[in-house]
Amino acid sequence: MNSYSDNGNSFHNKVHPNTLVIGGGIAGIQASLEVAKAGNKVYLVERSGTIGGHMAMFDKTFPTLDCAACILTPKMVEVGQHVDIDLLTYSEVTEISGNPGEFKVKINKKARFVDLDLCIGCGSCAAKCPGKAPSEFDSGTTLRKAIYIPFPQAVPNKYLIDSENCTYMQSDGKKCGVCVKFCPVNDCIDLHAEDEEIIVVVGNIIMATGFKPFDAKKIERFGYGKFPNVLTSLELERLINAGGPTEGKIVFRTQDKKGNWIFKSDGEQPKSAAVIHCVGSRDENCNKYCSKVCCMYSLKLAHLIKEKLPEADVYEYFIDMRAFGKGYEEFYQRIESEGVHMIRGKTATVKENNGALSLRSEDILNSCLIEQEVDMVILAVGLEPSDGVDELSKMTGVELDSDGWFVESDSLLDPVGTKKQGITIAGVCQGPKDIPDAVVQASAAAARVLQSIEKYKEVETI
Amino acid sequence: MNTRVNPNLAKELNKFGKGNWNECFHCGNCTAICPLSEDGFLFPRKSIRAIQMGLDEKLEASVEPWLCYYCGDCSETCPRDANPGELMMAMRRYLTTKYDVTGLSRKFYTSAIWEYAFIAIIALLVVVSFLVFLPLRPDAASMVNESGGVMINSLVAGVSPDRFVTLIEYGDWLMAFIVAGLLISNILNMFYKTILSDKSIQIPFSTYITEFWHLIYNFVTQASFSKCEKKSYWIGHLLLMTGYTIMFIVVVVFLPYFQVEEVFPFWHWQRLLGYYATFGILFFLGMVTFQRLRKTQISMKYTHASDWVFIIMLALTTISGIILHIFRLVGMVEASYYTYIIHLAILVPMIVIEVPFSKWSHLAYRPFAIYFSKLKLAVMKEKSVEHLAPAM
Repeated sequence: MNSYSDNGNSFHNKVHPNTLVIGGGIAGIQASLEVAKAGNKVYLVERSGTIGGHMAMFDKTFPTLDCAACILTPKMVEVGQHVDIDLLTYSEVTEISGNPGEFKVKINKKARFVDLDLCIGCGSCAAKCPGKAPSEFDSGTTLRKAIYIPFPQAVPNKYLIDSENCTYMQSDGKKCGVCVKFCPVNDCIDLHAEDEEIIVVVGNIIMATGFKPFDAKKIERFGYGKFPNVLTSLELERLINAGGPTEGKIVFRTQDKKGNWIFKSDGEQPKSAAVIHCVGSRDENCNKYCSKVCCMYSLKLAHLIKEKLPEADVYEYFIDMRAFGKGYEEFYQRIESEGVHMIRGKTATVKENNGALSLRSEDILNSCLIEQEVDMVILAVGLEPSDGVDELSKMTGVELDSDGWFVESDSLLDPVGTKKQGITIAGVCQGPKDIPDAVVQASAAAARVLQSIEKYKEVETI
Repeated sequence: MNTRVNPNLAKELNKFGKGNWNECFHCGNCTAICPLSEDGFLFPRKSIRAIQMGLDEKLEASVEPWLCYYCGDCSETCPRDANPGELMMAMRRYLTTKYDVTGLSRKFYTSAIWEYAFIAIIALLVVVSFLVFLPLRPDAASMVNESGGVMINSLVAGVSPDRFVTLIEYGDWLMAFIVAGLLISNILNMFYKTILSDKSIQIPFSTYITEFWHLIYNFVTQASFSKCEKKSYWIGHLLLMTGYTIMFIVVVVFLPYFQVEEVFPFWHWQRLLGYYATFGILFFLGMVTFQRLRKTQISMKYTHASDWVFIIMLALTTISGIILHIFRLVGMVEASYYTYIIHLAILVPMIVIEVPFSKWSHLAYRPFAIYFSKLKLAVMKEKSVEHLAPAM
């Protein structure tokens, strides 16, 4: 078997030089680039309309406060332009057969309805499109059109149609169709396009399927979905971002004319905010594990709130402050020195009181109860395995642990390999981790793949 | 302050309830979600901490376990599944044994055999004393009044009806005297441990008087329980408590007016009170038995042997009382006599064992704990000391 001692080199058959990377987040991007830059062909399969993943949604990264988009988008563009990377967005792996060294992979390219080669990204279609839906990229803080580019720096920077919200498709072609009418390029939009199935042959597979945020509605006592100004961390991340729905202003959630709860840039600003840690993590009723990133991103969010609203009072309610990495402890101390109130004690309930949100917690270090009124509550939601990992696990034979993360071949010495030869894992799909760790693991997975390809080439030349 | 550490405290507490003391990682969720927890009296987390640290003196000096009515909100939301509500229940059982100077309470809680044996002995004593000293008179069959009901006080040989009631009343008072004496000594012990030995606080005599109403008010209304989110628990508990108290007062204090030869009409206040009490007790018993068997409600999930003894004894008392009532109404003389003995043979041990030594003692400890906590809070308010206890 493939264990850390034989480093995955024990392929019995020929190793096909092409590689499949599943997932286009930072880990998938990094792994694809590493493999492709060595001169090997990569198929990068991404489920959504663009690569970038969650990192593209972040405003800043901890602990250096680098602009996430500034460091990510060049890599995304590089992926999009690399001759050896075949980028398959809006596509999903549906079947894997064959043997290590030569997998046959069936990929379903979902109908995008817009021709990737013809679309010039002018936006005439979206300007006229009547269909609207919550923007996935903006974490539902605003609406996008049914024909849309996920975000301005998306790769590929081409439109796609979300059939569930398209007036034409929902009316079986009886209504609308304005996008076709206003598109300046002939035959670019085909509202009758169908899913397409392709088969690729690869020698190795890197799984980098990442995570989904914990659904904050599951913990009813925090009032998410009931009180408009209880936000998830990703929602706040989009508010803070200059490219977000409010151009970087932290404002209250308001209702638009049609009753959708959204954020508008002219909205009123909060004077105080509280971040509740461990929402859905370290909890036997939700996920038992520590999501590893929430303490640090909560500190980052506290800093960013202070930066946008210097007069605001910001509170962090935590169980334990886990500042475990290089520069992290220093970052924690920096945020504390900026005047953010750190309270050791898990918030039990959030209630609405005349528009203000009232939090009840025990201040453990001071042995007293705290009833805190704030204008905004941010829930530091944890990480959960992405939807679809069960299917992927069945297809590849790589096991999932009880929490749903892919099982590595050895947690200490081989965190990228799996028990299945030719299949490696990278990023959060192996377990919660932050960006630096995800990147490290992606590079390591790529190294493993390159090793097997090189080894076979040697054998062939001799 | 407390310096002694008892490393076996958690192990000791495990004899009194289900729970893992080391699960708790002190997030404070339980204290914050509890509507009864307040500054100065924070629980359950701090009580759990005391046990993790082996601070037995601190635990014995605390009234907090009695302030909890076990709605289960803390256990349902505990991120560690540490079940703080059940841990508080274990602490209450432990404290009951610590207040009791005879040591019997500990025996009853840690060994069901001891409890069953004591109940059996007392029951036997009741039965034997009746059969020997108050036997059924030979011509008992004629002891039926004009409406066909059994003349309950005239069934015993050689004793006049008035004399019979007086004898039973004496027995009642003797039992009440013993039980009250034991219970009061336990309460004094509790008072010593929680108030007198706390040197950090001096309670002026006037405060004992000004705060006294809390004791009565909370005993009668259980107002504290009504602050829990689950109001139905409070209503159920109130039904039991009022029902039982009414029955107890009628039987012990007003026996000569209650246990009479004639059968009152249905709407007579005595019968109506009796029916209310019977309904209250049976309703609660039914609810509790159902929930304890179903085990979906967190506070009813883990049933200690002492809980079943309490439920079964109370149920048998009530059912034998109802049967006796029916036998009397339909004029079954002999059956009435023997059911009367059985009724007493269940009732007497239940009160003698349960009230001073076991589960039922909480009828006194809870209101007293609230009273004691109010005493401390009143003094703290005066001193404007914000927090009674320093951080642990």
